[in-house]
Amino acid sequence: MPVIAVDAMGGDHGPAEAVRGVAQVSLETDIECLLVGDEHKIQAVLEQVPYNPESIEILHCRDQIGMDDDPREAVKQKKDASLVVGVRAVAEGRAEAMVSAGNTGASILACAKRFTLLPGIRRAALASVYPRYTEYPGQDPLALLLDAGATVHCEPAELVQFALMGSAYARRISKVPSPRVGLLNMGREDTKGGEALVETNRRLRQLPVLNFVGNVEGHDLVRGRADVIVCEGMLGNVALKLFEGVSEVLTDVARAAAERRLMWRVGLRLLSQGIEKVQALTDYSQYGGSPILGFEHLFIKCHGRSQARAIANGVKVAAKAVRDRVPAEIADALSGHGGGHA
Amino acid sequence: MSLIRRRPVSHAPLPALLCRWDLDKTYLRSEFDTLRQLWRTARESGADKVEVPGVADVIKALRNAADRRGRPVAIHFISASPPQIGKAIREKLALDGIRYDGIVFKNQLQHIARGRFRNLREHVGFKLAELLRGRQGSAPGTREVLFGDDWESDPLTYSLYADVVAGRLPPDRLGPILTRIGVDPEAVPVVLGLAEEVGGAEGVERIFINLERRTPPASFQLFGPRLVPAFNYFQTAIVLAADGLIDTEDVARVARALLDRSGYTPRRLENSLADVLRRNLVSLDAARSLSEPLRADGLLPPARRRRGEWVERMRARLRRLRRPTPPAPQTGPLDYDAILDWYRDRFRPAPTRPDDAGAAS
Repeated sequence: MPVIAVDAMGGDHGPAEAVRGVAQVSLETDIECLLVGDEHKIQAVLEQVPYNPESIEILHCRDQIGMDDDPREAVKQKKDASLVVGVRAVAEGRAEAMVSAGNTGASILACAKRFTLLPGIRRAALASVYPRYTEYPGQDPLALLLDAGATVHCEPAELVQFALMGSAYARRISKVPSPRVGLLNMGREDTKGGEALVETNRRLRQLPVLNFVGNVEGHDLVRGRADVIVCEGMLGNVALKLFEGVSEVLTDVARAAAERRLMWRVGLRLLSQGIEKVQALTDYSQYGGSPILGFEHLFIKCHGRSQARAIANGVKVAAKAVRDRVPAEIADALSGHGGGHA
Repeated sequence: MSLIRRRPVSHAPLPALLCRWDLDKTYLRSEFDTLRQLWRTARESGADKVEVPGVADVIKALRNAADRRGRPVAIHFISASPPQIGKAIREKLALDGIRYDGIVFKNQLQHIARGRFRNLREHVGFKLAELLRGRQGSAPGTREVLFGDDWESDPLTYSLYADVVAGRLPPDRLGPILTRIGVDPEAVPVVLGLAEEVGGAEGVERIFINLERRTPPASFQLFGPRLVPAFNYFQTAIVLAADGLIDTEDVARVARALLDRSGYTPRRLENSLADVLRRNLVSLDAARSLSEPLRADGLLPPARRRRGEWVERMRARLRRLRRPTPPAPQTGPLDYDAILDWYRDRFRPAPTRPDDAGAAS
C-alpha cells in the first residue's frame, strides 16, 4: 500500500480537518498515511474521531508555515515546518507522495528544493482539476488546467511539456485514453496570441502523440472541448480564481434574493434539488486537489479551505497516482518525444 | 535491565488471576446487524466462526505466562448469546486450542417465554449477575482482567462490576443505576444481593475494550484509566505485558500470529504500538524495551536512524517532563450519571445525511 504524507498543520482548518480526513481514509481504505505536524495537537484530534491506528503514523515537528507567510522566506527559515518536513520525508523515501492544504507558493518551493525534476523537465506545473460541461456521454466531467500558478510566464518549450504532462496525468488518473489537449488563447486561429503562443501551437501540432485540438478560448474552459488546457501560470491562476469568484457571487446573489422576496424564496426551494446538483458539481472538496507535476514525486495541493472530505479525497488521488505510476508515465511521455523540444 | 513495569520480587504466591471474556465482537467476529446475519450466525458451525485476529493468542499468552509464574489462572467466557449456539462456540474454542474454565450463555428463550422481550437486548443485569456469581466462587484476593467490546454495554457492565467488587458502589447506590439502565425489575434484587456478598476488596486490574466499532478512544475517558480501549489484540498484548501479566515472548507470538495469519505488516504493528504510546497506555521505556526484541525478530520494522535523532530524543524527553502526572488511583465510583448520559447520546439515532461521494476521477 502506498504511504502518503499529509501536512497536518496546513490550510485554514489545520490540524483538525487534515487529521479528520486522514482518520476517514484510515477507515475506508488500505492507504497508509504519515501525518506530519505537532504530535500532541494531532493526537488530541485523532482521539476524538473514529480511526484505524494501524495505517496512521505521526511524524512530529514543531513549526508550520502560515497561509500568509512569504513562501520563499518561510521555506528557507522554517526548516521544522510540517510542509518542509513532509516534503523531506517523501524525498527520503519515507512516503511516496504528499498532500497539503497549506501555502501554495511554499508548497511549490519546498518541492523544487527537495524533489528532483523528471529528466528533461524544465519547470514544474501546478495542475488544477475543475468541473466543466460535458459534450458527449461518458466524457469525464472534470478537466485539467495547467499551469495554475507555479510558473508565472512560460516559454513555448515549457508549455509543450505541460501539455505532455497533463495528457499523461489525465490518461492515468481520469482514464481518458486520448485526452484532448487545448492551448488557452484569445482566439481559435493558430495565429492568435502573440509570438510565444503561436510557436507553442506550432510545436503542439507537430506532436502526433498528443490529441491537440488547437487553441481554446475562455468560454471553452467550461465546455467539453478539451480535457487538458495548457496555459502559463499567470493566466491559469486568473482563470481559476474567476471561476471561484463567479460561483461564490452566484451563491450570494441567490441567498440575497431569497431573503428579499417570498416568491423568490419559494422558487429557490422548488429548484433546490437542481441547485444542490450544481453545487455538488462545483464542490472542490470532491476533486482531491491539484497535483504539482514534473517531479519524481507527486504533491497534491488541496484548497486552503479544505475540510476533512477534501483532504481524504486528496489522499485517495495521491495514492491512485502512486499506484498508477503517474511520474513514470510523465517521464515516458517526455522521453518518447524529445522532452517536448520539438 | 528490563524497564517494563514488573511486580516487586516477592516470595509470596501470586494471587489467582481470573480472565473473563465476552464472546461476540470480542472473541468472535460475529455479524448480527441484520436479521439475515443473525440467522446465519445462529446456524454457523464451529468451523464457520471467525475469531478476531490475535485473540486466541492473547488468551493462550495469559495462561502460559501465569503457568510460568506458578500463578493460578482461570479463563471464563460470559456471552449474551443463547445457549443454543453453545455447541458451535465450544467447537470453535476447541479448534482454536483454547483451554477455558467456564462458559455462560444467556437464556433468551426464558425471556421470550415470559414475554420479557426488552430483556432480550438488555444485557447489563445478566452479565453483572454472572460476573458477581463468578466472583463468589473464586479464591480470596483473586485479581481479574475483563475483556469486552465497544458494541453495547461491556464498558459500563465491567466498570460497575469493578466498582462493586472494590466496595466503591454499595447496593444502595447501585440500585438506582440499574433502574436507570432499565434492568429487569425482577433481576435488580438478585444483582444487589450478589453485590452485597462480594463487595469489599479491589479486584479488577484492567478492563480491555476491543474497539470493533472504532469508537473514538477519548469517549472512554469517563471510565477512568482502568479501562483500556484497544484497536487490536497486539495493543492489548502490549498493555498486558507492560502490566506484567504476560511476557515479551508472548507479545511476540501475538505479533507473529497477526503477521502470518491476518495480513498485518510490521509497519502496521509499529503504528499500533506508537498509538498505544501516544495514548499514554504504556510508558516510553516499557514500549522501548518491548519493541527492541520484536525488532530483532523482524516483527517490527528496523529502527529508523535519522539525522538529528538525538535532538528529537531530547525533545521527546522534555515533552514527557511536561506531561501531566499519571492520574491518581480511583477512590470513589465513576460518574455513572455522566456515563449513562453518554450511552443515551451514543445510541440515539444519528440524523441521516446524503452519502459522501468518493474522490472523483
